[in-house]
Amino acid sequence: MDENNRNIRQEIDQKLNDDVLRGALGRFAEAYPISRAKAYENVESIEELRDWVQQMKAATVERIEEIADQFVHEATRRGANVFRAANGEELKEYLLKLCKEKEVKRIVKSKSMASEEIHLNQALESAGLHVKETDLGEWIIALAGQRPSHMVMPAIHLNREQVAGYFSKELGQTIEPDIPFMVQVARQNLRQEFLQADMGISGANFGIAENGAIGLVTNEGNGRLATTLPRIHVAIIGYEKLIPTIKDAVPILRSLPRSATAQLMTSYMTMICGPTPAMVKKDDKWVEEEKELHIILLDNGRLKAAKDEKFKQIYQCVRCASCLNVCPVYTLVGGHVYGHIYAGGIGAILTAFLHSMGDFEKINELCIGCRKCTTVCPGRIDIPGLIEELRAQAVKEHGLPFAVRAMFDNVIANRKVFHTLLRLASICQKPLQSGRFIRHLPLFFAGLTKDRSLPAVADTPLRDQIKRITRNIPQPVKRIAFFSGCSTDFVFPETGEAVYKVLQNLNMEVIFPEDQSCCGKPMLGMGEREASKKVAKQNIQAFEAVNADIILSACPTCAETWQGTFVEILSDEPEWKARAEKLASKVREFTSFVAEEYEKAGRLTASTISGSKVTYHDSCHMKRGLQIYEQPRELLKATPGIDFVEMKDCDKCCGMAGAFGVKYAALSRPILKQKITNIKDTGAEVVAVACPACMMQLRGGLDKQLPTVKVKHVAEILAEQLNE
Amino acid sequence: MKKVCENWENLFPADHVGLSIFEEFQNRASAASAEVIRVKTPSDALAAIKNLIESIQAKKIVAVNCPLQQSANLYDEFQRMGLTLYTDNAQIAEHAESADIGISGVEFGIAETGSVCQDAYSIESRLVSTLPPIHIAVLNSNNILPGIKEAFDVISQVFQHGYISFITGPSRTADIERVLTIGVHGPSRLIIIAIDQATAGGAA
Repeated sequence: MDENNRNIRQEIDQKLNDDVLRGALGRFAEAYPISRAKAYENVESIEELRDWVQQMKAATVERIEEIADQFVHEATRRGANVFRAANGEELKEYLLKLCKEKEVKRIVKSKSMASEEIHLNQALESAGLHVKETDLGEWIIALAGQRPSHMVMPAIHLNREQVAGYFSKELGQTIEPDIPFMVQVARQNLRQEFLQADMGISGANFGIAENGAIGLVTNEGNGRLATTLPRIHVAIIGYEKLIPTIKDAVPILRSLPRSATAQLMTSYMTMICGPTPAMVKKDDKWVEEEKELHIILLDNGRLKAAKDEKFKQIYQCVRCASCLNVCPVYTLVGGHVYGHIYAGGIGAILTAFLHSMGDFEKINELCIGCRKCTTVCPGRIDIPGLIEELRAQAVKEHGLPFAVRAMFDNVIANRKVFHTLLRLASICQKPLQSGRFIRHLPLFFAGLTKDRSLPAVADTPLRDQIKRITRNIPQPVKRIAFFSGCSTDFVFPETGEAVYKVLQNLNMEVIFPEDQSCCGKPMLGMGEREASKKVAKQNIQAFEAVNADIILSACPTCAETWQGTFVEILSDEPEWKARAEKLASKVREFTSFVAEEYEKAGRLTASTISGSKVTYHDSCHMKRGLQIYEQPRELLKATPGIDFVEMKDCDKCCGMAGAFGVKYAALSRPILKQKITNIKDTGAEVVAVACPACMMQLRGGLDKQLPTVKVKHVAEILAEQLNE
Repeated sequence: MKKVCENWENLFPADHVGLSIFEEFQNRASAASAEVIRVKTPSDALAAIKNLIESIQAKKIVAVNCPLQQSANLYDEFQRMGLTLYTDNAQIAEHAESADIGISGVEFGIAETGSVCQDAYSIESRLVSTLPPIHIAVLNSNNILPGIKEAFDVISQVFQHGYISFITGPSRTADIERVLTIGVHGPSRLIIIAIDQATAGGAA
């Protein structure tokens, strides 16, 4: 396959039109969270178990060389042959030499992602060896001449008819598409392979330094057969699978099967410590011999990652693939668009280290940063954070496309130019505008307005309305500086007005520092650090000048950027870092702040006055970034005339995800569609949100698909109450 | 016959009370599609195994020696029944693939997951539990540990060399359309015979 000349958008379109794939992944995405939760029912605390995995693996990578030395020593001492392969080429060379020396002709393989990572089968086959994958899914994929589309379920993208087709072709007879029958066909065919093989190649789910043992987690039994029947066993294991002690296998074994396949334990968990007996036929007689055991420790970029302050996190991966199973993008397009064998967000990161940065750059935008994966990962890897970090590195090395960079540098980083352009937009969009929306765009922009309207830039930005909406508060209880963010300022000024109303009603003084600008997140999201630093400094100066008690934002992304990102990106400038830290401690998100104040005032009790149905959509950054999800609900429930209803998958991304929704409109569309279906099913008249980006996406989608339902920021709902 | 440990029961904690958590073990094992037959005495175990053999009309059996089977006089009875029985490693290597049933002992069960732990250092213990379509695992009902953690507290004391397996239900796959299908490469039936009054000190 030509990896260099890929047209990702075209591949995405193909996958979106693949009904078999969409159906299978759709059903799986529905079923997985439920079955996973059930599998964890008899674990006292999932969070503590995740801490255990994270801490054990994080402590291991700190001294990975030492652990690896111990593993090699203990395995060797027991009679295993251990080879450290720096890369795929070294591994293949070792293995081919071994096959030649030991007169190996036939090989059976149980699942090994590491071997697929280095395209081992092709190398063995071109040396004339007979190689068979024995994991059913891997065998199907091999027969189909494809790559796995999922790390645990490699053939999830194929249906029974397609599988029957590949079986029929391989076996030269018609195989009916009956699943139990096909499984029996596979059993019979592969059983002969096991019995005749000279060598079994396996992967490993963990390697124990204390005793040099390897552990395998399988369901079909091929792992046991491949390590039992042939006279030679070769185990291929990546450095990240090493653990210090026998007991360190416990957190892995308690979480991996539950997260991967929603099983309490897989059918077979096998641990092999040193060479074990094998039966070999000599002169037509069976004799017991010691099996030859070779363990190959594969580096291929792993040791470099171990030394990287941020990326050493990938050692916390147990390869359960739960991050794929909850990913809104993966569950739409499957694994193939990710280009290599490791799919999804974690796949994008592994690809950067185990293949190349160039491969990563082609696929990095497929992460929409919704952080759903961070809530399930057993090793607590900050996958979206690492992807953002990789983007920043890529931009540092190769830069952004000139036009984009020029826009960031000259437009967004220069507030006056940026704001002038936004004002101009409000005039230029007029011919396309219909009410508050742009419903149709011509030419190649048309995809952007399919199933979704785009918001029109407001006639009068919030900053020009401040005088009108500011009330004089004689003895204010607090002085609040409002950071509006670009969308509230220029697209949804009414949200800003509502925020003013609610805060002033609480007897607080609200001020709008004129020099505030974009928080910088859209640029950071694309890996642009320098321009982001510029706007961070502008904002810090603007807010230092007003000396408020609280800096308040009604946008979770802006709030998060203020609370953490400014400090982080300015960390190499101590003076600026200190200034950023000082302000960060004052930053509050609107709903959580108001809920706290309402509670103090005794205004947060659930209302008994019934009225219209309202549901709430959790923004990704709000729920998983700021951990705020109860407060907006409490506010809504306390509002008279609202019957609060939850929607299904209330915290699943709406598909906007910053620039993603615009750049990958084709992908964003089905994600939005699911959301709208869930909204519709609640029968709600209003969807409340607390994030302007979600509001943009949902308003656009509902305008086209469900125009009777209104989208309102929680601030607007609270403010309406004050009007009455 | 090679074993990782000669007497696993000695490794259990002093306050070990396996029978009290047997029910949880049995429920979890059944949920994983294992068949659990709990009996009182070794001779009840023999009767249960005889029943099984008759119900599937098994002709050829491969079995590894273990004290529980010996105490149940399995082999004498099999001969009386006219079955072909193979118990040494060369015979097992030759016949496991075509046998109807494989029989082995297992060291302990795990209540958390419904798994049984097999000391599988000997090649014959692995052949009888992987190749035939039915694996009968003989277990002392008192040898149940609460969880994976407790299992590893035991294993970590002795695992210096060899092969250890947790077996949880029969061989399975969901690789085609995520449809659960039993019996891919390993046995399609795992039958656990749990004996309450196993002979003292007789590890299964």
